[in-house]
This record gives sequence, structure tokens and C-alpha cells, in this order.
Amino acid sequence: MSTLIASVGFGLVTASILALAAVGFTLQFGISNLLNLAYGDTMTAAAFAAYLANRAGADLWLMLLIGGAFGAVVSLALNRFVYTPFRRRKTSLFGMVIVSLSVAVIVQNLLLAGFGPSFFTYQIGQSRTLRAGSLALTVNQLLIIALAVAAMLALHLLLTRTRLGKAMRATSTNPSLALGCGINTTRVVGMAWLLSGFLCGVAGVVLVANTTAFQSTTGNDFLVLVVAAAMLGGVGKPYGAMLGALVLGLVTEIAAGIIAPGLKEGFAFALLVLVLLVRPQGLFGDATSRAVAA
Amino acid sequence: MKNRRGPRRLLLLVSCGATALLAACASAGSSGSSGSSGGGTGALTIAVFNPFSGADASFGPEEMAGCTPAAKAIEQAGGILHHAKLVCTAADSRGDPADAIPAAEKLLATTSGLVGVIGPSSDEASATVPLFNRASMPMFADTGQLIFDKTTDKYFYRITAPDDANGYAMALYAHKRGLNRAAFVFGTDISSQGARATAMKAFRKLGGTIVANEQLSLDQPSYRTEVQQVAAAKPDVIFTEADPQTSATFFAELKQLGHLVPFIGTGGTIQPPWLKAVSGAIGAANMATYYTAAQPYAPTSGPAYQSWLTALKADKSQVAAPASQWYADPYAMSDWDSVNIMALAMEEAKSTTPAVYNPYIVKVTAASPGAVKVTTFAAGKRAIQAGKKVQYLGAVGPIVFDRYHNSPGGFEIVKADGTAITTFSPAAIAAVK
Repeated sequence: MSTLIASVGFGLVTASILALAAVGFTLQFGISNLLNLAYGDTMTAAAFAAYLANRAGADLWLMLLIGGAFGAVVSLALNRFVYTPFRRRKTSLFGMVIVSLSVAVIVQNLLLAGFGPSFFTYQIGQSRTLRAGSLALTVNQLLIIALAVAAMLALHLLLTRTRLGKAMRATSTNPSLALGCGINTTRVVGMAWLLSGFLCGVAGVVLVANTTAFQSTTGNDFLVLVVAAAMLGGVGKPYGAMLGALVLGLVTEIAAGIIAPGLKEGFAFALLVLVLLVRPQGLFGDATSRAVAA
Repeated sequence: MKNRRGPRRLLLLVSCGATALLAACASAGSSGSSGSSGGGTGALTIAVFNPFSGADASFGPEEMAGCTPAAKAIEQAGGILHHAKLVCTAADSRGDPADAIPAAEKLLATTSGLVGVIGPSSDEASATVPLFNRASMPMFADTGQLIFDKTTDKYFYRITAPDDANGYAMALYAHKRGLNRAAFVFGTDISSQGARATAMKAFRKLGGTIVANEQLSLDQPSYRTEVQQVAAAKPDVIFTEADPQTSATFFAELKQLGHLVPFIGTGGTIQPPWLKAVSGAIGAANMATYYTAAQPYAPTSGPAYQSWLTALKADKSQVAAPASQWYADPYAMSDWDSVNIMALAMEEAKSTTPAVYNPYIVKVTAASPGAVKVTTFAAGKRAIQAGKKVQYLGAVGPIVFDRYHNSPGGFEIVKADGTAITTFSPAAIAAVK
């Protein structure tokens, strides 16, 4: 029982990092109909931006801001200067996947060329470990959970209580109709990429703060889990991504604790396959999600 | 003891198509520009076939650090036969068989004057050794995989110890220190697994108890559950190998729980990226206190070592900085030896054609009556030109190939700063098998 409780606690940390990343990823798909496989490498690039800031003396909070801002700017630029021109040429969904894959390789190679084949660590100090029974989490890990919860709440409020959020949902559902209703969809798409890029950057910094060491492939390694969480929840559905992240985070840690650590990823992906067999559109998905899953 | 895994899982589908296309192009293209005849004068090429990108991107520069000084020293000695120039070229395997196969095909099909290969590593050896062997291309592999302990591939050579021997040395050292409760923490990737089974076998044989056996999925955001299980088992020593990021995350979390105990890594952990990552995660002081590693023994004194060191220092601007990181690096040293051996074999065979000089690789390292013992290509070339037989003595120690072209040496236990603690001879290793 104590193993289960501990695993649930650790699973929440993993789920929090995953949620930050998966929600940004799924937002990009929801608004642009694009599976951006360069997302993981954008996370890494943001983590490196925060690393440079850290070397200049920035603390974790400032690093989160810098990483988020960097991710936002890079994502916006990628959408405007790379992905949008291809979409204008009516490039197919598969074609766009290949374009994003190419961008991923380019970003990864640029990072490798710039920083070399080495590993890097943030200097953010040792955080205290808090214990409650069999559960032991560090202050930084509790902050990661709090940050994810706050970000998800803020996103919920944005999507449901603001004009921008409503415009995003409208554009995501039917861009032509949204344009006909007077919504500046170009601006809305840009804002969505800024927002998702910010989440991407923050997720990159949080991931690296938790893994301790990182290199030019770190974000890409994590991308499989991010895509899985998004698929599980229903691609393009932010609430689905949150739930997908929670399920995957908990399942991986519980599987590691109760079954075998080496099988935790396999177990999580087996669950993903089972869910998609029953609900091809994912937990929160609709017809679009179903088409992507298919 | 080198490897891994995941970033390319999403690339796999696309890679498969590209692989098939490139492989087809490679096979359909030139029958290979390698294996120049003994009569030419063009530049000869040694390819360093290892990961230069991807998660194990540090392997390539390490191998180049041995190849480049050797090529330079050979050129300064007048080159091989009539070939004044010898080039070390980087061939990136990306550390993944899906990428490595087309890379190897391309290398063989398009590289001018290719006479030998340094590599492959464990990441891609199973997939690419057969390709090089089929192309009659001598290779000095840095893979530690057991499957090559008794290989019949006649172009395969290995002068570093296999991973399983590493495991025996780790267990011996723990026993010597009186550490009898061990946790085994290894990555699930093939290269991290090499020493695990033999370390477990030897540790049990020496009377130790295995209290935890964790296999880590690589590059997860957290290993708290695994750390909790290890801590609960109360080991007094941890045997380990995983990639740098995985190990850094694991040991940082172990430290957070206050359960750091002595941990003994394989030779795969003594490399700069691993040390940097884990040291950054738990601090240099903890590394100095708790960490040791078993690595192939390469003496840091004697004429052969001095020959290597002199050549490396003379060419230090051409290797990954700082050059000092390679001074006692057994892999870089073995690559220096490998290039020298191939070059001397070509001199002895009076041919740069790989299939012709291949049998001479064993001959130029074997002890024989009247053979002149040499530690450099220059000395060997002079002796051969004088009509004498040579025995090349390696910077890694005497090279004695068995019938499977393996030359396993001893092992040493070192600290993070490279300080040697103790050495185990091949006989000591054999005793716990």
C-alpha cells in the first residue's frame, strides 16, 4: 500500500510536467491542425535559453519566464515563417508532419552544434525533501505540481471567460465560420502559438529542472510521452491533454512501483492502445481527433 | 558499453523508408571505392564509425581523439607505402541501427581510399559489423557486446575488454571492499546491460546478496518510484550503468532521499559526459566520496604510453578540447593502437587492399622470435623496411589476439578524477567467471 501511495505522489509530478507540455502541444494542433513534432526540440531550446540565463545568475522563477518567453517567440516564428507557408500551399496533414519532423532535426542539430554533445545542469540549489508517511517529495517537485495546476486553471479561465479564449475555441472548431463572424483568425492563431509556445518553454525548463541533466535530445526523448498524452485525451482538446497527462503520469509510476520499472513505459502505451481501441478519438476527442488517431 | 534509444522512435517510420532507399542506392552504386591497391599514391582513409550526433554523440569525438594523432604521426613517418596522406574521417552512425545501416552502406560505397574502420559501438554493432565484414573491411570495434566474444567475422577486431569482463571486475572490487548487499540499477538499453548479468553472477559467487534489481526506462522525467525501492532495500553498494541523463536523474533523486551509498559504474560511466551529468546532479564532493568505476586497464606509464601521449599532445588542437581528457582514456588509446596496427599490417603486407593486409593484423602484434618490439608506426615501418618482423606493443598494453580476434586486457578501478585505486589482472577476472 505504501508503494502505491508513493507511486501516486511521484506520478503527480510526472503528470504535472507532462500536462504543461501536452496542453501546449494539443493547443497547436487544435488551432492549426498540425502535429508539431518539433515541439520537443523547442522545449529543449527553451531549456537551453533558461540555462544561459541561469549561468548569468537567474533563479528558477526567472528561468521559467525566460524559457517560456523563448518558447513562445520560437513557436510563433515557426508557425509564421515555416508552417503557415506550407499550409497556404494546402500541404497534407502527413506532409506537415514531415515538415515539422525536418524542423525538429534542424533544431536538434543546431543545438548540438551550439552546445556540443555534452550534458548540462541548472544551478538551482538543493531543495528540501518533505515527507508524509511513505511519500517524499522535494519542495521543487511540489512547486512543479502547483505550477501545473495554476497553469491549467489559468488556461481554463482563458478559454471560457475571455474573448480571446472564445475566439480560440471558435477558430479551432471552424476557422471559416469564425472568420465569417468577424474574428481575426490570423491574430487568434498567432496568439494560440504564443500561448502554446510559452507552455512548451515552461515545460522544457520544468522537465530539465526535474531530470537534473539534459542535452540536445532531451525534449525529443520526452515527445513520445507528450504525443501519447495528447492522443489519449483526444488530439486538439486541452482538457483531454490534461486528463491524458494525469493518466499516463500515474500509470507509469504505479506500473514502476507495482509491476516492474523497466516495463512502465510499455504498460502506459499498452493502456493508450487499449483506450484508442475503444475510443479512437481519445477520452475527450471528436471526429477530428478520430481522424488523426486513425 | 555504449548506446541507446528513444528520440528516434518517432523518426522510425520515416527512417525506414529512407533507409531502404539509401541502402538500395548504395548497393546499386559503386561497388566501393575502398581497398585501394598497393600501387596508388592517393590519400588513405580510416573511418571512425560511431555516434557523432544523438544521445551518444560523445562517443565519436572520443574515438577521433585516438585516430587523429595516429594519422598525423603516420604521415610524419612518411605515410603508408606510397601513400603520404592518411585521413581520419567521421562517419556518423547516430547511435541507432536504423540510421547506422544506411550510413555504413554509404561509407563503404562512396569513401575514397577507405582502408579500415574504427568502430562500431554497441549502439550499432549488431547491425553493421556484418556489413563491414561482408565488404572485407577490417574494423576495430569499441562495442563491448558479448556476442562478439566468439565471433567468426574475420575482419572484426577488438582490443578493449568486453562488457561482461567489466561486470566481473565490479563484483570483485565490491567484494574486496566488504560491500555485500548490492542493488543493481541498469538502463534497459542494450549497451547498459552488458555488464549486468556477469556482475550479478560474480557478486553471488563471491557471497554477496542482491537486494534490488532495477531496470530503468531511459530518459524518464523522474525515477522516484525506483529510487524509493532501492532505498527501501538498504543496499551498501549500487552497481550501475545507464545513459548520463537517466543516471543523473536517478542519483539526484537518491540523494534527495538521503540514500547515497557507494556506487560502482561500468567503463561506460567513466566518460566525460556521464561524469559531468552525474557530478552536476549530486555534486563533485559526493562523486569523490561515493563513485568508482571499472574500466579496461590502460597503463599510464611506459614507452608505449609515452608514444601515445607525445603524439596526442603534438596534435592536441585537432582533437575535442580539452585534449587532457583523453590522456588516460582507454578507448582513445585503443584507437591510437588500432590505427597503428592497421598501418603496420599494410606495410608488412605491402598492400593497402583490406582483404590482403587483413591477415597481417594479427602478425604485427604477435610475439615471435627475433621480432622487434615497437610502440609507434615510425619505428615499426623502419624495422619492416629493414626486413625484420615487428611486434607492436599497444598503449593499452600488450595486444594478444585470441582466435576470435579479441584481445581482452585487465581492469582497473578508478575514481571520478581518473585516480586508479586497484587493478585486476585477466587471471583475477577469469577466476570469478
